[in-house]
Amino acid sequence: MKRSRKYRSEETKDKISAYLYISPFFIIFAIIGLYPAIFSIFLAFQKWNGLGEMEFVGLQNFSVVLQDPTFWKSLYNTIIMGILGTAPQIIVGIILAFILNQAFLKFRNTFRAMIFLPYITSMVAVALVFGVFFSSNETALANYTLQLFGIDPVNWKTSEWGAKIAISIMVFWRWIGYNTIIYLAGLQSIPKDLYEAARIDGANVFQQLRYITIPLLKPFIILTVFFSTVGALQLFTEPTVFLGSSAFSRTEAMTVVMYLYRDAFSLQSFGTGSATAVILLAIIVIASAVNTYLSSGIRKRKKGMRT
Amino acid sequence: MRKVKAGRFFVYVFLIIASFLSLFPFYWMFVMATRPSAAYNSMPPTMTPGTQLVENFQKVLDKIPFFGAMLNTLILCLVVTLVVLLISSLAGFAFAKFKFPGKNVLFVAILLTMVIPPQLGLIPQYFLVAEFGLLDTLIGAMVIFFLNPLGIFLMRQYISQSVSDELIEAAKLDGCSNFRIFCSIVLPIILPAFATLGIIVFTATWGEFLWQFTVLRDPDMYTIQVALSSMNTTSNVDFGMLLSGVFWATIPLVIVFLMFNKLFISSITEGSVK
Amino acid sequence: MRKSKWLLMFIMVLAVASTLAACGDEEASSEGDSEDVTLKFWTFGATNYEELAKEYEKENPGVTVEVKTSENADHHNSLFTALSAGTGAPDLAMVEIDQLDRFKEAQDRFVNLYELGAEEIQGNYLDWKWQIGENNENDFLFGLPTDIGPKVMFYRTDLFEKSGLPTNPDEVQNMIGSKNDLIQAGETIKEETGKPLVDSMEMVYRAVIDGATESYYDEEGNLLVEEEGNAVKEAYDLAVEFNEHGLVGSYEMWSPEWGDAVNGGDFAIEMGAAWLKGWMSDNAPDAEDQFRVAKLPEEFAGNWGGSYITIPGETDDKEEAYKFVKWLTSPDNQLNSFKSDAGLFPSTPEVYDREEFKEIEDDYFGGQKTSQYFADAATDISFVYKGSKYIPTQDEVLNALQNVYDGADPDKEWEAAVQRMKDVSKR
Repeated sequence: MKRSRKYRSEETKDKISAYLYISPFFIIFAIIGLYPAIFSIFLAFQKWNGLGEMEFVGLQNFSVVLQDPTFWKSLYNTIIMGILGTAPQIIVGIILAFILNQAFLKFRNTFRAMIFLPYITSMVAVALVFGVFFSSNETALANYTLQLFGIDPVNWKTSEWGAKIAISIMVFWRWIGYNTIIYLAGLQSIPKDLYEAARIDGANVFQQLRYITIPLLKPFIILTVFFSTVGALQLFTEPTVFLGSSAFSRTEAMTVVMYLYRDAFSLQSFGTGSATAVILLAIIVIASAVNTYLSSGIRKRKKGMRT
Repeated sequence: MRKVKAGRFFVYVFLIIASFLSLFPFYWMFVMATRPSAAYNSMPPTMTPGTQLVENFQKVLDKIPFFGAMLNTLILCLVVTLVVLLISSLAGFAFAKFKFPGKNVLFVAILLTMVIPPQLGLIPQYFLVAEFGLLDTLIGAMVIFFLNPLGIFLMRQYISQSVSDELIEAAKLDGCSNFRIFCSIVLPIILPAFATLGIIVFTATWGEFLWQFTVLRDPDMYTIQVALSSMNTTSNVDFGMLLSGVFWATIPLVIVFLMFNKLFISSITEGSVK
Repeated sequence: MRKSKWLLMFIMVLAVASTLAACGDEEASSEGDSEDVTLKFWTFGATNYEELAKEYEKENPGVTVEVKTSENADHHNSLFTALSAGTGAPDLAMVEIDQLDRFKEAQDRFVNLYELGAEEIQGNYLDWKWQIGENNENDFLFGLPTDIGPKVMFYRTDLFEKSGLPTNPDEVQNMIGSKNDLIQAGETIKEETGKPLVDSMEMVYRAVIDGATESYYDEEGNLLVEEEGNAVKEAYDLAVEFNEHGLVGSYEMWSPEWGDAVNGGDFAIEMGAAWLKGWMSDNAPDAEDQFRVAKLPEEFAGNWGGSYITIPGETDDKEEAYKFVKWLTSPDNQLNSFKSDAGLFPSTPEVYDREEFKEIEDDYFGGQKTSQYFADAATDISFVYKGSKYIPTQDEVLNALQNVYDGADPDKEWEAAVQRMKDVSKR
């Protein structure tokens, strides 16, 4: 962007505008976001039960957490459920969004509404419904269906894979509409005449998907990959409500955030809880950087488009 | 041509299966809301609505201040959604179309705000809200939701892709102020993204429980999730009543969604005419 | 396009304005008359305290008691958050007996009821119950005792009858006087009806642990589970033994399936406390007149649950708050709570001798006069120190028992549980 001298004041004005426009977020952040963040980091070096005096313990909290097999188990669980429940959303979400954006499609609104419906359903409802579907009873829907195929009933809440699979299904079911709708927004930012031109050039549906949709959707894919990575590593609500009273005592599906929540609020060890949060923060930063890097490599061709 | 038709047929089959899977738990919830408590455990599973729709809901109304809680939730979600839309679109505009020192650092800072697990912020945030005297107020219950990094990300991306620099330059040459450009050029173009973000924020806020439970103690101030959970205690396992409450609490959201969806759709068609 | 933009702006302004207005109203109305006292009272579970509060308001004009009831875990977490942040706690808070030690670490955030003259009424209450409400030095009283949970045997008469066992409470008591009698009865029931004796591993485990005089920790916070003769291992072994006999069902307490099993009679006995009846009469209507109450074998007598009412230090009016608690937990009102649907059993032994108490016929148990069974059990209980990590530590054992039920090796599970308990205790 080349500007002549008389626009210099314009540039200053732009800067002021920009700072003005981003200030609401940072003002609110400074008030309610920054303090808890600093407090958490501070707590990671203290021993504190939430009620009494704090005591500085240096790095001891970190060594306690890193030597605890339950921590590593929870990290393992989190990654497995992230792969099972979160990763497929991105692929299925793109396909759904692409289909839902087709001009020929009838009842487009209805389909779109139905795909998004699970995200609307409140967590309490999801927990109740899935809790019953995946109860270890033989009459429960999941086991009933398995039996129709001659498979033995599964203990969905206490077995190593049963719990993970049930929770992953729940996560997938609840969040697929969310990803789809973000992709739909992305698709809408793609000019329609590009498809028109491609069709005239004789491109079929898959070619359109490959050469127009995915490259132009890329920023949105990166966005959802990033948010899904963070979301997957912070998985908390779904397993907690699904497992109910045994959520913080069993380890089949305990996630890292559940582990730190248990430390803080059930074992009253805010120091180790905060230390876990700091470790998790590092993991999230690394994982999202890697994932974002990988997903930005999916289509190198940019065709001179601005991003 | 035949190939295209077959392809379309599969598309419909795929969509119908997908819709069925996402609709089914919801339908089942409705079925349970119309039946007595024990129905959920029958063999083979119950799949058709019963006759207790009104009865079950009446029990809910007796137990919790359902409509008051709905109103509270509605106000809370509306304000949060509008504030987030405003903050995000302004900041997204700034990050997408302006050059200013520290831009990248600040953007990364926003990114970092969301990697702190919110569960751990509970006590310090509670402490802050209490210090400001906002316990038991809707403002206290909504304030932490104003921070929404996703909104800024989404808006920045959408604006940088769909609002062309030439358009802004042209408006500037016409002597438009930045704010005027935002209002009359950017806002109309980003309406679909508004609809998307609006739906996401509104529904996420609607379903939120932990924070609101911590901050709201006065039953008159309860949001619907807090009210529903007060019904779901160990001293009560009337499943029909529970799912009736949950079901009716979801209906308004469906309506809100359909409204947004309309805005969403209408902005697409407008866009394609242009 | 233009229209929708203005519409959006309009809604935005409207929404913000209406919230501000709503909040403004709230401020104005909360000031009120300075003469009047409002007491915020947090409770959990099934109680009749809302009704009692109304009665108190009638007798004491100018006093308003706002009762708020939540789910057990939510209630205690919410109280913990408020105490930790030092603001937002109510004037009165109910605390469950297993949770109390966790709150004792915040002694400075509670009112010492001894300062308000609580020792005057100490004689009204059971000694062990009172002692748990004190700090270790016995000079600070956290709360006044509400109910206790003396354990009895609730048994299904229909299943007993089908199995050819007696159904009359006295005969049942005579037949089942020891652990081995219980196992034998269980085997008979299993053979005749195909149903398990008890609902879950937890119930068998609790049969021992709820009656033990020493549990997971000593007062210095040392973990005792590996010491010779500690009750935890004994309780664990008992659950394993019952399981090996095939007497244990798969109904985890408070799950919907458990609710159905109680209602439908899918297992034969529940070793439960008095308050369980409050739950049953609400949620297991089909089981009315099916259960009877009998004494548990001596070795399994114990206490399960029960609560205290504390006064957090933030209260503006500790005198008024104390007056209300004293009234609420008085022998007369504890009797009222017992007679209500909640069925909360009094911690004031004087009540046990009253005719009015002895003569209560419980329709839920087919008109049986049950109060005496509970009262007998209540006098067999002694003090036990629990410690602030009681619940998470116990969860680790229950966890292991669940795995044993699912087929894991009991010895290996025990070792793993001990390791996890050590980890928990170090936090």
